Amino acid sequence: MERLEKLKSIVAALTRDDSEVVIDEKAMEKSIVEHEENQAGLAIKVLTIFGGFLATISFIAFCIVAGLYDSGGGLLVFGIVFIVVAILLDRFYDRLIIDTFSVTMYASGLALAGWGIGALDLDLDLIPLLYILVGTIIILVTRGFILSFLSVLAVSGSIITLMLSNNHYDLIHLYNTICTMLVTCLFLNEAKAISMNNRFSELYGPFRIGLIFSLLFGLIVLGKKGFIPVSENLVWLSSVVMFAVVLYLVTKILNILSIGDVRTKAMILIASGLILLPTVFSPAISGAILILLLSFMVNYRTGMAIGVIALVYFISQYYYDLNFSLLTKSIMLISSGSLFLLLYFFTSKKNSSNEEL
Amino acid sequence: MTKIDREDLQLISRHSNLSEKGIEKILKEQIYSDQNDWRQFLKLVMISLGVGFTAFGILFFFAYNWADLHKFVKLGLIEAIIICLTIGILSARLNKLTKNILLSGTVLIVGVLFAVFGQIYQTGANAYDFFLGWTLFVTLWVVVANFAPLWLIYIALINTTFILYHQQVLRSDASVYLHTICFIINGVSLILFLFGNHINSKIHAPGWYTKTLALATVVFATLGNIVGIMDNKPAGWFVLLLILSSLLYGYGIYYALRRQSHFYLSIIAFSVIVIFCFVLIRISNGQGMFFLISIYVIASVTLVVRQMLKLQKKWKG
Repeated sequence: MERLEKLKSIVAALTRDDSEVVIDEKAMEKSIVEHEENQAGLAIKVLTIFGGFLATISFIAFCIVAGLYDSGGGLLVFGIVFIVVAILLDRFYDRLIIDTFSVTMYASGLALAGWGIGALDLDLDLIPLLYILVGTIIILVTRGFILSFLSVLAVSGSIITLMLSNNHYDLIHLYNTICTMLVTCLFLNEAKAISMNNRFSELYGPFRIGLIFSLLFGLIVLGKKGFIPVSENLVWLSSVVMFAVVLYLVTKILNILSIGDVRTKAMILIASGLILLPTVFSPAISGAILILLLSFMVNYRTGMAIGVIALVYFISQYYYDLNFSLLTKSIMLISSGSLFLLLYFFTSKKNSSNEEL
Repeated sequence: MTKIDREDLQLISRHSNLSEKGIEKILKEQIYSDQNDWRQFLKLVMISLGVGFTAFGILFFFAYNWADLHKFVKLGLIEAIIICLTIGILSARLNKLTKNILLSGTVLIVGVLFAVFGQIYQTGANAYDFFLGWTLFVTLWVVVANFAPLWLIYIALINTTFILYHQQVLRSDASVYLHTICFIINGVSLILFLFGNHINSKIHAPGWYTKTLALATVVFATLGNIVGIMDNKPAGWFVLLLILSSLLYGYGIYYALRRQSHFYLSIIAFSVIVIFCFVLIRISNGQGMFFLISIYVIASVTLVVRQMLKLQKKWKG
């Protein structure tokens, strides 16, 4: 096995560097076999999720066409049964090939249970509360990537729904703050997460991508003007935490670039702050910058792609929503564009003169 | 030491007493972006933002209603910008990437020129001939620069021109025709980029670019086939699309197996599964059919995933 050989050579190098490292090679060998049967790339995961959703849509269509919506109690019971089946399947038959079925059971279960609560004329807030409960249980018991990822989304999506349906729009800033903190902590403490225990290291991947999407939900809600009636003079609240984290990342990047001179450091930090300042009323932009920087820092490609797409979208949306004449917008764009070009030529020149030295 | 990736590290960590510090060290040295990566990244971000913002700034500037400005001044100004930029790109001592990004900005400004032309002569800013002109006049630059993001803009322009032509001139709803042509445009470009290096060694495209093209091709094939299946009077175009997409999918699977690509296999499989769902709906849209479809989707996706996992095992040896 090629992979085993590769890992063995890495292990040999590690034990050579540090004689205290002990590796259970037999267990690892067994794990590699399981891993290869069960480890899917992004393409397979996306296919599974899309397949699961397509099957869910046609199942719900079946329920509608068959007129199975008369009994709210029946729907609720079926929904819960579906969710339980999804959990049991995942718990006792943790294999990738049944994930499509688990996803379908899970998504249909949530949809049926929500539908049931609606049909029973119960308080509609019970739907997101139920989703949060189910999501949390699944995160606690599951070992599968896709189900944990979907559960993170179910929990964060439900929290936002609860805030919006109860008209507590400004709580979105609290949500964004918490998400930003969680994402940053998770990205910057990868070593700790991997070494903590096996359970946590298994959940690391789905949590990382799940939290990026959760943060994006919060940013999208704020990124499009008028999407929710949030108090205009409180929008900067979300920006404060984003700015703080982005500037903290800048200091880390300066360390990586081994820029030690205090004056240069201070200048770069002030310049970064000034570049961020115009986006104070659009936390979505600084949020996208944050996702991009974090993902690039730890070399996480999916995150980088999400960051770039989000950044382009939020900047366009920002200028589109801006209540200025086209001329003012144009002057703003050209001046910020020239600033970036100047910075580019300045740093390139500096780099090449350094290289020449 | 052999290059280590995240999954390797997680596996080793699970079965060893490797300390947090040890893991951190490996992550920083082997996986995370280093000084050089950051330099390149920051430069790329600055030049892209700089060119992007400035180009859109120029677009907004001319979109502003300059009633006092004579039309020749307006057009002349934009042309002057284009000429200055092109001369700058040709003569300045810049690296190739910078020149390509600047040229992409210039391509956007050519669009501004045609939009202003449309504004002055009241042809409308979304007339198909405006996009046709834009596409034609930047062709040479796109070919010479051979820069993937610019190619992507170019293919998007060709698609837009055709879609607008279809809406404005043909005024037709026969969208199987539209999807077939867009499928051919994207499919031919995809094949050109995947195999062009056999003809000319300079033709090579990054993975993200061919994957985007493949995705566009598959989306047009899927939509076209669905419209064709649901259409009560399927036209000859549908037959053509069906034949062409079957051929391309067949070859796509062969290519994916040879190149060991999960991506191409997944998109083709999902497209076929979705198209077949509509064949089933066409047969009947009763309650039983929807139930059958959900079973069919679960079964087929599971089967595909199973096959792909088997292949993965084989590929990894």
